Amino acid sequence: MRTFVARRMFFGSMLIIVAVLVLVANAALRVAMYHVAFVSGWFLLGLCVFLALYNIRKKLTALPLGTSATWLQFHIYVGLLTFVVFVVHIDFRIPNGPFEVILALLYLAVFFSGVAGLILSRIIPPRLATRGEEVIFERIPQFIRRTRDDVEGLVLKCISESDSSAVPDFYIRRLKPFFDRPRHYWSHLCHSTRPLHSLVVDIEAQHRYLSDVERSLVDQITEYVRTKDDLDYHHAMQKTLKYWLFIHIPLTYSLLVAALFHILLVYSFAGGS
Amino acid sequence: MSFGGSELQRPKRWDKPFSDTMTDEDIARLMSVPPFSEIDESQFRASTSLTDILKNDTRLVPCEPGDIVIRKGDWGSSAFFILSGRMRVEIEPPETSMPASVLGRREIKRKNVFEALAQLWKNHRSPEFRSVARAEAGGTGVASRGAGDRTRVYLEDVGTVLDQYRTATIDSGQFFGEIAALGRTPRVATVFSEGEGELLEIRWQGLRDIMRRDVALRMYIEQMFRERALSSFLRTSSMFSHLSDDQMDELCAAAEFETFGQYDSAQTNRTDDIQSEPIVAQEGHYPNGVILIRSGVARLSQKFHNGHKTVGYLTPGQTFGYEEIAEGGKPLRLSLRAIGYLAVVIVPAPVVETLVVQGRKSSSKPLLLDDGRPMQSADAETAGLQVDNDLLEFVVEGRFIQGTASMVIDLDRCTRCDDCVRACATAHDNNPRFIRHGPIHENYMVANACMHCEDPVCMIECPTGAIHRNQLQGNVIINDQTCIGCSRCANNCPYDSIRMVEIRDGQGNLQIDSRNQPIVQATKCDLCVDQIGGPACQRACPHDALQRIDLRSLVSLREMVNR
Repeated sequence: MRTFVARRMFFGSMLIIVAVLVLVANAALRVAMYHVAFVSGWFLLGLCVFLALYNIRKKLTALPLGTSATWLQFHIYVGLLTFVVFVVHIDFRIPNGPFEVILALLYLAVFFSGVAGLILSRIIPPRLATRGEEVIFERIPQFIRRTRDDVEGLVLKCISESDSSAVPDFYIRRLKPFFDRPRHYWSHLCHSTRPLHSLVVDIEAQHRYLSDVERSLVDQITEYVRTKDDLDYHHAMQKTLKYWLFIHIPLTYSLLVAALFHILLVYSFAGGS
Repeated sequence: MSFGGSELQRPKRWDKPFSDTMTDEDIARLMSVPPFSEIDESQFRASTSLTDILKNDTRLVPCEPGDIVIRKGDWGSSAFFILSGRMRVEIEPPETSMPASVLGRREIKRKNVFEALAQLWKNHRSPEFRSVARAEAGGTGVASRGAGDRTRVYLEDVGTVLDQYRTATIDSGQFFGEIAALGRTPRVATVFSEGEGELLEIRWQGLRDIMRRDVALRMYIEQMFRERALSSFLRTSSMFSHLSDDQMDELCAAAEFETFGQYDSAQTNRTDDIQSEPIVAQEGHYPNGVILIRSGVARLSQKFHNGHKTVGYLTPGQTFGYEEIAEGGKPLRLSLRAIGYLAVVIVPAPVVETLVVQGRKSSSKPLLLDDGRPMQSADAETAGLQVDNDLLEFVVEGRFIQGTASMVIDLDRCTRCDDCVRACATAHDNNPRFIRHGPIHENYMVANACMHCEDPVCMIECPTGAIHRNQLQGNVIINDQTCIGCSRCANNCPYDSIRMVEIRDGQGNLQIDSRNQPIVQATKCDLCVDQIGGPACQRACPHDALQRIDLRSLVSLREMVNR
C-alpha cells in the first residue's frame, strides 16, 4: 500500500467486516443454542496472545518475521477487534463475579492504555518536531546541566561586574530549582506555556532593580530559560512516549495470567457443559 | 596597518607533495624515459613545470610479486605508469572474477536463522570486540606488508592465481588506472604485479595538468577511454541502447569529455551556494549536445526572480538536453550545474539529430524505456516530479543526493523509541552503527548513518582497500581484517558517518600495538549486509518513520513525502 490513507482504509474495512462477522456468528451460535462464551473466550485469548507476541517480535529484530510496522498495524486493528469480541464474550453486560470484574477491568485497562498509546504516538511526534532542537532523550540531562552551568556563569559574571546581589538572589530563589532538573511535566503534557510565561514575567519584573550590565546579562539568562523550557518539553513528551509502555506491557502480562486462571476456573466449574 | 593575529604563509598547491622521497635523480631518470622524454617542456608554465609536476604529484612505487595495485570496484584518485616489470590485469567474464577474499575484502556470509537468533545471547558485552585486529597471513590467500600509506595487500601465491583466473599482461611503458582516476569512477579491473617492478603513481591533478599541456598524452588517454569504456557507458543510456555497432562507433568518435568543479574530496560535497557552482549548460542558451552524466551529481536549476531555483538533480547515467534538440534546437529550459566534481560526456547535437532524433521520426513506434514510459531526458522527467522546493533545496544543499541508502526519518511519525538503534546494535555485536541525529528540514531528518554514496569519497585514499563496495549488493562496507585504522575514510567522509573506534578483546580490554597504543579501526553502517531481511533499523521501526531511501532519485523522495 503506497499511502497511509490507503493502508488505513484497508485495515479499517477489514476490521469492520470481521467485527460484523463476529456479531453475526454470535447471533447464529446463540440461535443454535451453542455455548457462545466458550468460543468467544478462546477466540479472545488467541487474539490477546497474538497481541502479546508483538513485544517478543520487537526483541527478535534479527529474524525475518516481517517488519515491525506491519506487526504494529495488525496489533492496532486486532486490538480494536478484541473489544468487539470482549463485549460478545461478556454478553453485553457488566460482569458480576469479583474475579470477572477484575479480569474485565484488566482487559479494559490494557485496551485503553493501548488506545492511549496509539493516540500519544500520533499526537506527540509532530509536536516534538516543531519545538526546540531535536534531542536524544538520554542526553537531555546533560544538556540541562550544560545550560545550568552557562547560566551560573552569567550569574557569577553579574556578581563580579556589579555590587548588587539582585541577580544571584533571584537565581537562588526562582531560577535554580528550574534549572536543577526537568520541570513542569504536566504543563508540557497539556501543551501549556503558563510556567514559562510566569517565569519570564518574573524575570522581567526584576529589570527595575538592575543596572544596564545586569539587565543585558539577565536577557541572556532569559534565552537560556527558553532553551531549558524546550528541553523540559522534549523530556516530558519523550518520557510519556517511552513510559506508557511500562503501563501497557505489565498490564498485558497480568491480563494473560488472569485469563489463564479464568480458564482454569471455568473448566473446573463448567460441570461438563 | 596591522590587522592583528598571526601571519601565516598562504597555503600553496604543493605544500604537501604526493611523496617526500622524490629526488632530483628520480626526476632526471623519469625525464629520460618516454612518454615524459617526448613531452615539450616549453608548453608548461613556469609555476607548474613538468619537473615540478613529476616531483610533487608523483611517487615511485616498488612492487613485489603479488602486490595488488588496484582492485576492481575501488575508487582511486591516481593513475599508474609502469616503469619496469609487468602487471597482470584480471579479464572478464565476471564468473571467473577473483573472489572477495583473494582481494583482501570482506567475504559476505549471510547469517542463517539460527545464527541470526543466536545474536541475542552470543553478542559480546564489551564494545567493539574484534577477534583479530589485523590481517593475518594464511587462510584468505592474502596478507599485507608495509605500514601507513605504503601498506599493500598482496597475493601470497601468484602462481595459483594466474592458473585459476584469466589475466592479461600490461608491460612497462603503459598507463593504467587513468580512466577511473580522471573520471572518478570505480576501477573496472584488478591489477597486480606479476614479479618485481616499479610503478610511477601520478595524482590525478598532475595527470590532468600534463594532459592539458601535452596533446599527445591527452589524445592517448582519451583514446584509451574511447576504446575501453565509452561504448559500454553509452549503451547504458536508453537513448543510445538501440543503436547498431556502426552507429555506436560513430557516436564514440564524436563524443567529447568534460569535467567540472573541484575534484578534491573535502570540497566536493561542501560547496556553498548555487552561484558558485560551475555551469555545464545554461538556461536560454542553445544546446550543444546531449549531456550524459558520467560521475558526480548535477543540479537542474531555473532562474527565479533574482536567484535560481533548484528543480531537480541528475546522477550518473542520466541525460540532459535531449528534448530541446528533438524539438528542433530550442533554447534550454533549465540550467545544469556541477555539484562538486562532475564528469560528463557530450554527444554533439548534429550526431544526436542524425542518430537518435531522425531514427525516432522514421520509426512508427515511439522509443520507449524499459518500463514502457516514453523516452525523454532525465531533466524533463525530474522537472515533472512535484517535490516541495524547500525540501529539494535541503537535499541538494546537504549533498544528500549522493546517498543510495540514506536514512531519512519522518519526525512526525517517529516516537523516538530507539527500536532502530537497538536493532542496529543487535545486528552489529551490540554496537550501533549510526546516531539518530542529523540535519532536519521541517519534519524530515537525515540521520547520521552511512548513506552508501554513489560517489564514495571515503574509498579514495584507503591504502588497503578495506573499505569497498560490495559487488553484489553495492553497499559500502569495511573489512575489519584489512582495516589498518589510518582514518583516511573517516576524514574524507563529508557526512561524518564513519567513526574510528578503539577495538577490544573478549575480556573488554583494549587491543594495543607494540608501542602500547590502542588499535583503532573504522566502523560504519554496512546496511546489515550479513543479516537476513536487510537493514535492521528499517525493519525495526514500528511507525514506518525510518526509511532507507535512494536519494539519487527524486521518485524515492516523492514516494516517502507523499505517503
